[in-house]
Amino acid sequence: MTAGNVSTDEAAPQRAAVTDHHHVPFSGGDVRGQLPAGARPARNAIVAAAVIGYAWLLGGAAPFSTRALIEVLLPGAVLGVIAYARPPERIPAPETVDTIGFSYWIIAVALLFEWEASAVRDDRPWHPSLTDLINPLIAPHPIKTAAIVVWLLAGWALVRR
Amino acid sequence: MSDRAITVIGFVGIIAVLAVLETLARRKIGRIPTLGEWLGFVMRRPPGRALVLAGWLWLGWHYFAR
Repeated sequence: MTAGNVSTDEAAPQRAAVTDHHHVPFSGGDVRGQLPAGARPARNAIVAAAVIGYAWLLGGAAPFSTRALIEVLLPGAVLGVIAYARPPERIPAPETVDTIGFSYWIIAVALLFEWEASAVRDDRPWHPSLTDLINPLIAPHPIKTAAIVVWLLAGWALVRR
Repeated sequence: MSDRAITVIGFVGIIAVLAVLETLARRKIGRIPTLGEWLGFVMRRPPGRALVLAGWLWLGWHYFAR
């Protein structure tokens, strides 16, 4: 057998070995290549409990308090450190996106910003901003906790991009 | 219909449009990219990455610290 003429079956272990050597995903397979992604229920349960616990803690912080500010900034700092010191396996970004398809998103997002800006400018009860509408919805502690969990997961998803 | 209701309907309508765009993109209908795809595209360069992550942090501050 030569290096340039390897059958599919024979090459598989070699490829796996090369993969294990050159890339160590943070959240994917086990560091030592022993377990596939998502196959560590104990670790996943601990992480989930930590995230939910932190969200519960933050959800209980008084608005405009230093504690609330720090508890919001802390995940940003942690994700920043992870992103630079121990980056997770990233989802490859597309080389390009379709201009017309992308423009639909831009138009919808611009509409949202315009609608929000007009509400903020008017600042009248009959023209509430998105914040005025959302804040009462997420006021109950459990719902706020769930919203914070979604926000934390979104942050993690962004770091993986 | 009150002015407040119109405002609420406007927000709900726009958010519904965003949800429809994501659904169409995930079902590969048309050439619409998913939210993750175009965010990933924007985040390919450091300024875009910084902008998107700053937006995420701002959202957290706006809704959970204020």
